Amino acid sequence: MLVLGVETSCDETAAALVADGKVVLSNVIATQLDLLNKYGGVVPEIAARRHTELIGYVIKEAVDSGGKTLAEIEAVAATSKNGLIGCLLVGVAAAKALSYSLRVPLIGVHHIEGHIFANILSNPKMPVPHICLTVSGGHTMLIYVHDYCKYEILGNTLDDAAGEAFDKIAKFFGIGFPGGPVIDELSTKGDRKAFRFPRPLLGSSTLDFSFSGLKTSVINAFKSRIAANEVLPVEDIAASFQEAIVDVLVSKTLRAASERQVSVVSVTGGVSANRRLREVFSNACQRKGIEVFFPKLSLCTDNAAMIAAAGYARLKEGEAAGLDLNVIPSAPFEV
Amino acid sequence: MKVLGIDTSSYVNAIGVIDGDKILSDFTFEAKTDSLKNIVTNIDSALGKANLTLEDVQGIGVGLGPGSWTGVRIGVTVGKILAYVTKRPVAGVPTLEALAYNARNVTTLICSIINAGRDTVYAAIYRPQKGAVTRLSEYYVGDVQKLTEMITEPTTFTGPEAQFYSKLMRPTFESQSINIEVMEDIPRGYAVAMLAEARFQKGQTDNVLSLEPMYLKESTAKAFVNRYSINAGVKGQDLPGVSSGR
Repeated sequence: MLVLGVETSCDETAAALVADGKVVLSNVIATQLDLLNKYGGVVPEIAARRHTELIGYVIKEAVDSGGKTLAEIEAVAATSKNGLIGCLLVGVAAAKALSYSLRVPLIGVHHIEGHIFANILSNPKMPVPHICLTVSGGHTMLIYVHDYCKYEILGNTLDDAAGEAFDKIAKFFGIGFPGGPVIDELSTKGDRKAFRFPRPLLGSSTLDFSFSGLKTSVINAFKSRIAANEVLPVEDIAASFQEAIVDVLVSKTLRAASERQVSVVSVTGGVSANRRLREVFSNACQRKGIEVFFPKLSLCTDNAAMIAAAGYARLKEGEAAGLDLNVIPSAPFEV
Repeated sequence: MKVLGIDTSSYVNAIGVIDGDKILSDFTFEAKTDSLKNIVTNIDSALGKANLTLEDVQGIGVGLGPGSWTGVRIGVTVGKILAYVTKRPVAGVPTLEALAYNARNVTTLICSIINAGRDTVYAAIYRPQKGAVTRLSEYYVGDVQKLTEMITEPTTFTGPEAQFYSKLMRPTFESQSINIEVMEDIPRGYAVAMLAEARFQKGQTDNVLSLEPMYLKESTAKAFVNRYSINAGVKGQDLPGVSSGR
């Protein structure tokens, strides 16, 4: 079955063709990095305007580069839950028009479920149950994946998402945007033991996360030196800050695996592209005899292939949406 | 020519279907701030009422706004994707012109007026002539009182809040002895379809993929950055309307 996926929940306009929930035929992503750099963050209205400008081109490119015709599409899936409302609206409006005019089923997908499927797409043999860490600019969530489409949330961020902390720190030190890739790169030249930053909630038994305090403590540590116009060791700061986040993410994920007695973990979302995170996860999992899976780099950040794959799974469960499908900007991740 | 007209820039989903100069159906579905939920079923109802299917439609007209930014994007997106899939031509129509068109039988000039938020309005002045309307002014965005300076002869104000705005301007016009009329009205799908058809007849179509709303205003953050010409990526300047959480 050929599914067209559409994703516009934040600042990426994306469309993709996926066959049978497994084979990615095309994966088109138009990023708004130029705008992010200019404004230092996502401006919802500007992002929504850009989505409207690009959505037609991106869909056409996904169909054409997938080597298919519109008539061959058998279902349309779009991110309808979780994201910026004005942005979600554009993708869902396009998906509804496609579903109506092609007379094929429409599926509304929760963005988080999409990220889980990014890993399934990349690693078709990944077993269930497993523990999935979804970590991006918008989410930091530990999920027990009982089965495809059956989830239990074990932990969530109480304030900032991990990727958001990367962005805010990068913004504060004026080193660029988005923060994840910039800090990842700077860290390779820095000493990750140069500064000892706090590991929030690491000592507590909760599987929830909190990164707001870490961010503040990093900022406070350098305020006086910034005021004195000192040149800061940004490489060391980046590496030490990244190490604190990685430490928390890996430890909590492994604790969840041990509590649930599963020997498989998956890491997904934009931050799963972070090289140090992958390295520490791989080493720690190897020591504990746990298998760890990451998505292909092209499927880490927001994309529509993962939405098509999740939509296909949902459709197989008999969960097609009506043409009155609406968007829910802050929907709980249904289990 | 059978043309489907869509306008979601106001608080209704306005959908009309025409065939030449005949109106086959024309609906203003209550949408309030939720144009998305029923837009496609609204289109299906209007086509059904016209005894047509989507495949029978030969061209699509889309109201481009100005109006609700979120609302107008829904009609524009749905209209252009329908045109892309059915391989039909698409024509964007300024909503101000669609409003003027529905008032085309008056004997005065027509000023279409739409709420632009924060005590400002979008407006344009049209001359009705032989069942058509011709725009005489630039598109106006600004203070409603300043709009009076553009009007020197008898005028009919039309738009979703024409009554309210004309009341604000009336003292000025009375002091200048300019006669004004009011025709409170919402955008109509049939008017969008008629104006689109007129463009099709002249061989004018818009690019199906690149069609965009007519916002007439920058977003707040963009205006802020332009005004202070700052680069917010540096030094962590916080901007209104910027969410740093991604």
